[in-house]
Amino acid sequence: MGVLKDLKNLILGMGITGKHLGRHAVTIQYPEERWTMPEGSRGIVVLLSDKETGELNCTSCLLCMQACPTAAIRIDAPRGEDKKRRLISFDIDFGLCCFCGLCEEACNFCALKMAPKYEFSTLTKDELVWDMKKLQEMGRDVDYVDTRKKKKPKESVPGPAAPKADTVASPPANAESAKPEEPKPETPEQEEGNG
Amino acid sequence: MLLALMSLELVHIFRWAYGLLADTGLPALWVLLISYALLGAIMFGVLAVLALFLVWWERKIAGHIQQRFGPMRNGWHGWYQTIADAIKLLQKEDVTIDARDRFIFFWAPVVCFVAAFLAYICIPFGNGLIVADLNIGILYIMAVTTFTIIALLMAGWGSNNKYALLGGMRSAAQVVSYEVPMVASILTVIIYVGSLSMVDIVASQQSFFTWFIFRVPFGPIAFLTYITAATAEANRVPFDIPEAEQELVAGFNVEYSGMKFAMFFLAEFLNMFTVSAIAVTLFFGGWNGPWLPSWLWFLGKTLLVVLLLMLFRWTYPRLRVDQLMEFAWKFLVPVTFGNLILAALMKYLGWYW
Amino acid sequence: MPELRTEEFQINMGPHHPSTHGVCRLLLTMDGEKVVEAVPYVGYLHRAIEKICENRTYHMCIPILDRFEYVTSMSCNYVFSLAAEKLARIEVPERAEYLRVIMLELNRIASHLIFVGTTAMDLGALTPFLYGLRERELIMDLFEMTCGQRLTYNYIRIGGVSRDIPPQFVPKCREAVRIIGGKLADYEGILNENPIWLARMKGIGYADPQQAIAWGVSGPVLRASGVKYDLRRDDPYSIYDKFNFDVAVRWNGDNYDRFLVRIDEIRQSLKIISQALDGLPEGETRAKVKARFKPPAGEVYVRIENSRGEMGVYLVSDGSEKPVRVKTRGGSYNQLQFLPEIVRGRGYLIADLVAIFATFDVIMPEVDR
Repeated sequence: MGVLKDLKNLILGMGITGKHLGRHAVTIQYPEERWTMPEGSRGIVVLLSDKETGELNCTSCLLCMQACPTAAIRIDAPRGEDKKRRLISFDIDFGLCCFCGLCEEACNFCALKMAPKYEFSTLTKDELVWDMKKLQEMGRDVDYVDTRKKKKPKESVPGPAAPKADTVASPPANAESAKPEEPKPETPEQEEGNG
Repeated sequence: MLLALMSLELVHIFRWAYGLLADTGLPALWVLLISYALLGAIMFGVLAVLALFLVWWERKIAGHIQQRFGPMRNGWHGWYQTIADAIKLLQKEDVTIDARDRFIFFWAPVVCFVAAFLAYICIPFGNGLIVADLNIGILYIMAVTTFTIIALLMAGWGSNNKYALLGGMRSAAQVVSYEVPMVASILTVIIYVGSLSMVDIVASQQSFFTWFIFRVPFGPIAFLTYITAATAEANRVPFDIPEAEQELVAGFNVEYSGMKFAMFFLAEFLNMFTVSAIAVTLFFGGWNGPWLPSWLWFLGKTLLVVLLLMLFRWTYPRLRVDQLMEFAWKFLVPVTFGNLILAALMKYLGWYW
Repeated sequence: MPELRTEEFQINMGPHHPSTHGVCRLLLTMDGEKVVEAVPYVGYLHRAIEKICENRTYHMCIPILDRFEYVTSMSCNYVFSLAAEKLARIEVPERAEYLRVIMLELNRIASHLIFVGTTAMDLGALTPFLYGLRERELIMDLFEMTCGQRLTYNYIRIGGVSRDIPPQFVPKCREAVRIIGGKLADYEGILNENPIWLARMKGIGYADPQQAIAWGVSGPVLRASGVKYDLRRDDPYSIYDKFNFDVAVRWNGDNYDRFLVRIDEIRQSLKIISQALDGLPEGETRAKVKARFKPPAGEVYVRIENSRGEMGVYLVSDGSEKPVRVKTRGGSYNQLQFLPEIVRGRGYLIADLVAIFATFDVIMPEVDR
């Protein structure tokens, strides 16, 4: 009879929801418990610093600024008399950033990374624009694999060797030796391979 | 420990308190009035706590059915979430609308709440724990729960809003239609009890196997039709078209805000408890049960029926309005009346126990 | 007794509506309780995506087009990449193709799970929504471990995919496939045979197949009316011709069949994913594509089978690094146009309209772009 079949199906439906009463919840109580973000999560963009010297790895090549689809990255790095760029300011507007990760892929100097951090709500839109100092500070505890090409020691310099990018305990205070690495001449066509 | 639990019959406390009052030497009328006033106050307190508890319980059950937690922050597992919500609603601005009829608009939530409350003077909470043992108990409850319709119509009319009016009319039509199968299901049980008094109904189900739900074949059918009609009475899913959000017509209480809305809301939950209490009294043996005090049995059984109603809500989609009315008149009414005739025949022929 | 004068009135089912399918405004002409005509008004979610893409390089267009239809963001990435690859005649490595298929099918399942949830919610059953989201979390976790994001992926790029899958992806994916396949029985138990569900869905919202084809409707809505048309089978792209799967089709064309077709599609997608995981080859995950990608001048139209129908991109290039025109075509647009045809004159109540709208599975960003 139709009625009995309907009744059976109704009770079956209730049985399914009823058996969930005994199951443990799948949600976690944030902020007491936090989900561990997997490796490679795309959270906020941070500026990475050298592991030994603590200076920014950024060489002002401006590739990230050109790669960003929403123009969230604003870099002020004018060329000096020696035709090299000096990084004056590096702002990222997280109100515009779409967290696509193209800047991280464009960078060849391990200067940018998308850290798996996501808690940065602010009360005003202006606070979402982070300057170089804040970006570097947020990037201090982000671990990264240094894949930059190592600088060969210059043969002609006498005395203490010019500090290489990856030597241990190089004096950081010296303004001369702490100059950022020479940016490679921007090749018009850079390969984007299996990064 | 068990003995102490068994002796926790509340009726002794009430009798002792009444004895105290009588000893004060006041004239008998005064004693009666004061005792009833106190009982009313106690009932009000109990019902308020009950309504708050039910709201919390609904949210927790809903959460666990959906494999999440429900309220967790306010107190241990959110036990005072409802109190926090009530305080919030108290603080809300009472939006004064250009009401069609200010008197009706103002008194609708009051009537609703009073109607929900009035039924409780006749419900046996335990052995001897009944405010007034009317000899027309169940008839009185049926009559009083019908007051809710008046409140819905008042709410719909008083808001100067055609959608609220539509919602109120639909709601009233639904409640009136489902009264018929509800009363017929109840009559099926009353035939066997022989009296309309709630105390007698409970007294006729002393042993486990005399519970009316086990009196096949009319018992289970009566229970099923009763619980369906009761869900419709309480405006719960699958019959909650009048208060559905996904529909255009937001319901009769769309223009109410703050505490007035809270009145409707709490009245709905109290209604749910009322119909569950009646179901327990009629079909599940009321407060009968071994070892534990009677009021605990009553509470436990009623909460189980309330759990059943909540499972209905969180499992089933809702019926369309015309399907709802069709279901009531074309299916439930014939079935309940058929059941009634069957039960009457069986009683006449003596084929029952 | 004199006849009562009745007149039709108009009601606005406004952009703010709890039946959330985005922001869509429907102007309903009502005769009493029955809906006579439903006219959709769109544009509330227009973000000028196609115009924005004209000022961005090809690689930048992909995260922008993520937002074209964010419920199935992988498909949006994929259709644009396919268009660019066709223009520039790029050969995609095989491992990348397999990964693409896995991601596309996972995204299809996620989209259909949302459909099941929101349809049930529109009809009042509030629980399957959360069950659907619980299963979708498994899929989103898989996406998060692969590409880093849960909704707008930017994963399928021109030439392949952006990253290779981590080693724990394959066992977790198999686990997810197993769990989701098991939970489908839950949905069917609560919904499929439920008499209330049947009363609300069966026989309502009949879509005539000829009319549907005339209006350009595609996807599950078309397949529920009996037309066995699936681009993965009829105009195969990627490596779909290597997989063994059925095209889910039903014949009644009403709400119930549109619902059942999508549940069938979830099953077929699970089958495809299992086969793809079994046959996943080693190799590169992306062909060598220049950072300043300049395809040769020309135009191309490519289309794929999205969970909502045919999703296409018409790409016009003039040899520079920015496209001249990116025209996107989404299935929801045609289905929204088709809605008034189904509703006109059939005497549905608003509750039925809500149910029909829900089973069409229209996503407003795809309509408005």
